[in-house]
Amino acid sequence: MLKNYLKIAFKVFLRRKFFTFISLFAISFTLVVLMVAFAFLDHVFGPNPVESRKERTLGIYFMEMKTPDKNGTWNGTTGYKFLNRNTRNLPNVEQMAIFSEQKQVVSYRNGEKIQSYLKRTDGEYWEILSFHFLEGAGYSAEDEKNRNFVAVINEATRQKFFGNESAVGKTIEVDGQNFRVVGVVENVPFLRNVPFADVWVPISTAKTDTYRNELMGDFMATYLARSAADFPAIRDEFKVRLTNVEFPDPKEWNSMNGGMDTYFEAISRELVGSRDDNGRASRPGRLLAAIIIGAILFMLLPTVNLINLNVSRIMERASEIGVRKAFGASSWTLVGQFVVENVILTLLGGALGFVLSRFILQFITGSGWFPYAEFHLNVRVFLGGLGLAVIFGLFSGVYPAWKMSRLHPVQALKGAVR
Amino acid sequence: MLRHLLKLVWNRRRVNFLITLEIFISFLVVFGVIVFAVYYVDNYRHPLGFNYQNVWSVQVEIERKSDDSDKQQHLDTTKQLLATLHDFSEIESAAAVWGAPYSRGNWQSGGKVQGRQIRFWGNFMTDDAKDVLGIKIVRGRWFGKEDDGANYKPIILNQKTAHDIFGAEDPLGKDPKEKYDKDDKELGEKPGQERKTERVVGIIDDFRKNGEFKELYGYEIYRNDLKMPDGQVPRAIVLKVRPGTTAEFEERLIKRMQSIAKDWSFDVKTVEQMRRENHTEYYVPIAAFGLVAGFLMLMVALGLTGVLWQSVTQRTKEIGLRRAKGATAKRIYKQILGELLVITTFGLLIGVLVVIQFPLLDFLGFATKQVYAYSLLISLALIYALTIICGLYPSRLATKVQPAEALHYE
Repeated sequence: MLKNYLKIAFKVFLRRKFFTFISLFAISFTLVVLMVAFAFLDHVFGPNPVESRKERTLGIYFMEMKTPDKNGTWNGTTGYKFLNRNTRNLPNVEQMAIFSEQKQVVSYRNGEKIQSYLKRTDGEYWEILSFHFLEGAGYSAEDEKNRNFVAVINEATRQKFFGNESAVGKTIEVDGQNFRVVGVVENVPFLRNVPFADVWVPISTAKTDTYRNELMGDFMATYLARSAADFPAIRDEFKVRLTNVEFPDPKEWNSMNGGMDTYFEAISRELVGSRDDNGRASRPGRLLAAIIIGAILFMLLPTVNLINLNVSRIMERASEIGVRKAFGASSWTLVGQFVVENVILTLLGGALGFVLSRFILQFITGSGWFPYAEFHLNVRVFLGGLGLAVIFGLFSGVYPAWKMSRLHPVQALKGAVR
Repeated sequence: MLRHLLKLVWNRRRVNFLITLEIFISFLVVFGVIVFAVYYVDNYRHPLGFNYQNVWSVQVEIERKSDDSDKQQHLDTTKQLLATLHDFSEIESAAAVWGAPYSRGNWQSGGKVQGRQIRFWGNFMTDDAKDVLGIKIVRGRWFGKEDDGANYKPIILNQKTAHDIFGAEDPLGKDPKEKYDKDDKELGEKPGQERKTERVVGIIDDFRKNGEFKELYGYEIYRNDLKMPDGQVPRAIVLKVRPGTTAEFEERLIKRMQSIAKDWSFDVKTVEQMRRENHTEYYVPIAAFGLVAGFLMLMVALGLTGVLWQSVTQRTKEIGLRRAKGATAKRIYKQILGELLVITTFGLLIGVLVVIQFPLLDFLGFATKQVYAYSLLISLALIYALTIICGLYPSRLATKVQPAEALHYE
């Protein structure tokens, strides 16, 4: 039966080519936009080779510090002192690493200006994250402790400083300080906040040591749990730790809030988290809902457009419907047939959109708007796009199909339908 | 004529409902993009208030101690830096500021005047900033030697803030804080510090630090006297360089500055480059949304053409009958387009009704009434143009219907 539907569908598509073109254009365009957006989200939140153990990783990214009357709020990345003093040795956490937010710095090489992002990290950072080293290795906790001026750089930075030569053992000047390169890693995409940087150096090489006394500052931390099942226990302990923070001047600031989040939770906390005196709660469900509602709202106009087009084409099929009905086909069978037809069309459009998205993503990757970003159409994006195409096909197919199936056989055979 | 058209449209209400819905949603999409475009164009028209040619900005990052005990040392370094910069033949003048043009971050202040909330962004500048940035004084004067050791804090307002606080009154020589409502006067002062009165010494047209596209906002500039204990450690040093100075100078400049201020971090950019980067931040989202909206409209246009075409084919009999009874091709043409205009107007009417609720709900609150009205008109014109273009071919098709062909249709 499905084979028959397919045959009929293709005959119908070829009968009026202009209309098939309009439908395909609408469908593929809609799916291109959705797939590009999906690829973008996947790039930001999906798995990444460097963060290979993401599913059992938690992080502290942003915190909130409040004044005693709760009116004053300091929102931002966390301070080294808090992370170092209050979040070590959490139960079920195998390892933790502290790192700073990347900061733009300049260097000069033979009269040329080189701009790079500098991240200061501890030694454990290189153990938690699975960087792919092209040469050398990361620095150790020992290097950090002894304030050794060593640096890991990425491939692009090596290219800028040393051309195609090997970099390990050589010295680079960054932000007015000299570092000996100990390792070179593959480029990490800009939008991955935890691993991204051009140059990584030990925290202790900071120009002053004021960071050691900051509860709020430029730092973040990542924690490797034994398994995702341990997250609740870790978070509970973290809440207890929050009550034990020592404030240097409790009259000025006396409470800190925030959470240990997966990256998606952290972003949801910043974007859609509800606010109260205890800081912002993370609302991953709400962010997910917002993304889905956004996609549906975007699909609204194309859907109405396609429904409109399909409904106005009922007449073309009137005689066919009349014959089928006269020979006893039920409305449901007809609805099924037309919906299948529409889904086939959307899948065709989806395939077209898939090819187009590939080119667009290639263009965005090549444009350099997001340094080192590589937007791919991987299996996840493909499945997502396939799902979207089917949903879209169902949405835009059901109403016209229902209308078609309701044609009165006699009227349909006469071809007189209003 | 109109009543007749309405009747015709009503008779085909099922089909027309879907077209109306489509036009209504299209209108919302177009309006959403247009309102931003109009808002930005409107902002762009207003004067910027400073000069960005041959100006370099050195962003300074300093890790400060939280108890401020290192402030004097940083102020001394700033003074030393500014003095050194004047030695370079490439530099015409240099000044320390809190926020350089197009830099990120705003420092906001404000208070209540007669119950109205006044807000403005602030900046601290040393005296040379006027020459570096080419700031134009509309009335009064810029900061100068006469303010040294004065018993007041000299400030300069932009016209918006001057108007917000003083209304029609002449603000020169007056203290804005005196105008604040009683309970707001102590705002923003550290306890235990003796308050110096402020005095407005000059009025500028504007200083739109955040760039041409950012909303018009109040602005106050404070004098930064590095010799005084209440001087401010700057976040940027701005330089007026001789025309033709190249990037080659950058390295020498930074090396020199770094040698004086060892624990500071520097990043130098031309203000022109910062302007370009700032503009890109506005262009990219507008271009992305505009592109998507443009394709959506193309899709709607194609779809609408298809639907109208189909409906003309379906109405062959009706049109043929009219022709047989003596209607001219022109009248048929008018009828089809007329029906389309009625449907469009209907969809747009609902659209306008929805859109005028937005300001009441404080949605899109950034747009002034004028911007709103313009966007509304432009969007209406665009949608009308779109539907008329879609209707042209199908209406022409309708005029080609031959009465004879139509009448023996079955």
